[in-house]
Formats: sequence, structure tokens, C-alpha cells
Amino acid sequence: MTCVELQESLIENDSGGTAAQRAHLRDCPHCAGLVADLLVIACAAGELRAAHEPGPHVWNSIETSLRREGIIKPFARRSLLPSLTGSWSWTGWALPAAAVVLITIGILVRPHAPPPGVVTGGVTSQPASDAALEASVAGLNDNDLLAEVAEQAPALQAQYTENLRNVNDYIRDAKYSLDANPNDEDAHRALMDAYQEKAMLFEMALDRSLP
Amino acid sequence: MTDPQQKQPGDALEAGLIEKAKQGDAQAFQALYDKHKRRVYSLCLRMTSNTAEAEDLTQEAFLQLYRKIGTFRGESAFSTWLHRLSVNVVLMHLRKKSLPVVSLEETTQVGEEDTPKKDFGAEDLALAGSIDRLQLQKAVDDLPPGYRTIFVLHDVEGYEHNEIATIVGCSIGNSKSQLHKARMKLRDLLRMKRSEKAQKS
Repeated sequence: MTCVELQESLIENDSGGTAAQRAHLRDCPHCAGLVADLLVIACAAGELRAAHEPGPHVWNSIETSLRREGIIKPFARRSLLPSLTGSWSWTGWALPAAAVVLITIGILVRPHAPPPGVVTGGVTSQPASDAALEASVAGLNDNDLLAEVAEQAPALQAQYTENLRNVNDYIRDAKYSLDANPNDEDAHRALMDAYQEKAMLFEMALDRSLP
Repeated sequence: MTDPQQKQPGDALEAGLIEKAKQGDAQAFQALYDKHKRRVYSLCLRMTSNTAEAEDLTQEAFLQLYRKIGTFRGESAFSTWLHRLSVNVVLMHLRKKSLPVVSLEETTQVGEEDTPKKDFGAEDLALAGSIDRLQLQKAVDDLPPGYRTIFVLHDVEGYEHNEIATIVGCSIGNSKSQLHKARMKLRDLLRMKRSEKAQKS
């Protein structure tokens, strides 16, 4: 077998394992080196199999398309909505319902808030809004939300717990300032922002797939 | 390729994700994507040598898969199904660009260009045991598209020649011939780069 014949034979038997190939390779270090190199290349190729990561925007585009095409079902996103046949009581329904009411009130009230310093009859127009928001927030049960997060996406429970603690602290601080000075516009605004932030937190869990 | 009959660890978990995805569960879609994205994207990248095209093709492959996921019955491995679909997406793309998926040359004769190169024959340039991933992927990117397709499908993805012949639409002999030439070309490219590097230093 010549060197050229050996190379031709490698097309069918690339390991150089036939008797004729072995006989040639024993006497030809040049071809032996060639076969060794080709085997190294073939073996190293496997390392390229999953060597690269696509950018995060690839999944974002896929998810957007799936939602647009209705392949990701809306009910699947609303994982916090309790099932009528499930173990949730009527209070379970109060959670999303209260969040919706809260968000609606926030949207309706927010644009009509007077600028700082505008007082009507010595009392701002906002306490009534605050009261409405507070009443709505009262219907949001943090424990229900956390329990659902724990069930649906346990990895996010710590994050939701932290976010809820922060927003509750925010509400408490704003109310404390408002109690000290009921005409404090900044305190009113801070309280409304805090309520809306809490509503947003619930909305994220309700309306989005838990990331 | 993966034996469809051979159960892999995590199959039960994946089967559960597939069932949830069939019902439109966003998290299941994302979990399946996370599990397979690297392999699909790497395949696309190796075959196109272009990151933007590879990302577009990855997106297209997963979208096609998810659109059809309701028809998946589990007779074959999900990964096998996905990777075959991904290969088809890439080949379709290459054909649209009029790039040769495989050389039209059917001969299995080894040409002069494939005979051992005496100028790179020095013992210290032997590749054995010394190819790193970066060197190899750069060399693969420099392969002519026809050679690259066969090399990626066989040596990277693990398809057999009969499967490649079916996927690409060539003869088994042509697939074997193209693979041999691709490896020879890679050897030359790697040795050439090593030679250049040795001269610089």
C-alpha cells in the first residue's frame, strides 16, 4: 500500500485499523502522524457541541412570538389565579380582585392629584384616595402571595419576600409621616407611590409568568 | 446520534415539561429552551460562522419546535427531534443564501491537494494531543461551507453518514469523502497557524 492508497482507504476506514493500513502505518511515520492528527481532530470536535450561549434577547424574542401567536396560553401566565375546583377559598379570589381594584384606583386617582402645596379648604383632596387605596391594599394578603410563589416558583420566594418587606416598610414610613402632618403633600405622594408599588408587585405575579 | 430508545436521566422531568408546554405553560417553554439552547445555538454558529445569523436561526428552530410541540408523541427523543429540526432550519437558510450545503463533487478519489504536505511535515508540528477548542473552532470557521456542514454534522453533532446523506441529500460515499477532506483541510489549517505562530515567536 502506498501513501496515496492509504489516504484513499481512510475515507472508508478512518481509524487506520485494517490489516493493510496497519502494515503501512508501521513502516511510514509520516502517514502514522497523519492518521493520529485526523483522529485528534475528530475527537476534539465533540468539544464544540455546546460551546456557546445565545444572547438573552433570543429567548425574549421567542417568548414574544409565542405570546403573540397564542402558543403561550394566557391562563398559564396567570398562575396565581385560583381554580374554582382547587383548594382556594373565597379569600383566594379576593387577592387578585383586590389587586385589580387597587391598580384601577391608582390609575384613576394618580393623574388628578394636585401639585404640591395645593390645598382645598385646608385639607388636601388626597386622604380619600389614600383611604381607598389602603382599603384595597388591606385585601391583598402577603401570605397568600408568598405561598403561591413558593408553590409555583420556589426560587423566587426569597426575592418576593424581600420586595414585600421593603414595600411594606415604605408604606409604614409614609403613613407615619402622614400621621405627623396630614397636610404633607410629599407624604401623600409617597404613600400613593408605595401602594402602587405594592400593587405592581402583585400585578407582576398575577399577570406575568413568574420569571 | 442519541438512541431514541435509550432513556436518559432527566427524561421524566423533560416529559413533564413537554406536557406543560403543550398546555401553553410559559415556564415549561423556557425550561426546555434553557436545557437545549447551547447545543442548538452552537450548531447554528458552527454551520454559519456568524453570530447574528446563528441567533436568528436558533430563534427560528425553537419557534418551529414550539409550534409543533402539540404533535410530539415521544416516540423519539425530544433532543433528537429538536436537533434534526435545527439542522433543517440551518440547511434551509444556507440553501436560500445559495451556499453549497455539500460539494457537488461525488468522487471519492483523494486529490493532489489532499496528499500529505511535506512542508508541514516537521515532527514538532504534530497536532496530536494539542488542539484547543478555540483553535479548532477558528479552523472550522475557515472551512469551505460544504466541508464544514459535513464535518459539523458528523464529528461535532455525531450523525452517521447514512443520516447525513438523508438530511443533506447526498450519497453516503460523498459524505465520507467530504468528511475526510474536511479533516485534511482542518489539519492543514491548524498546522499552518501553528507554523505561523512558531515563526513569530
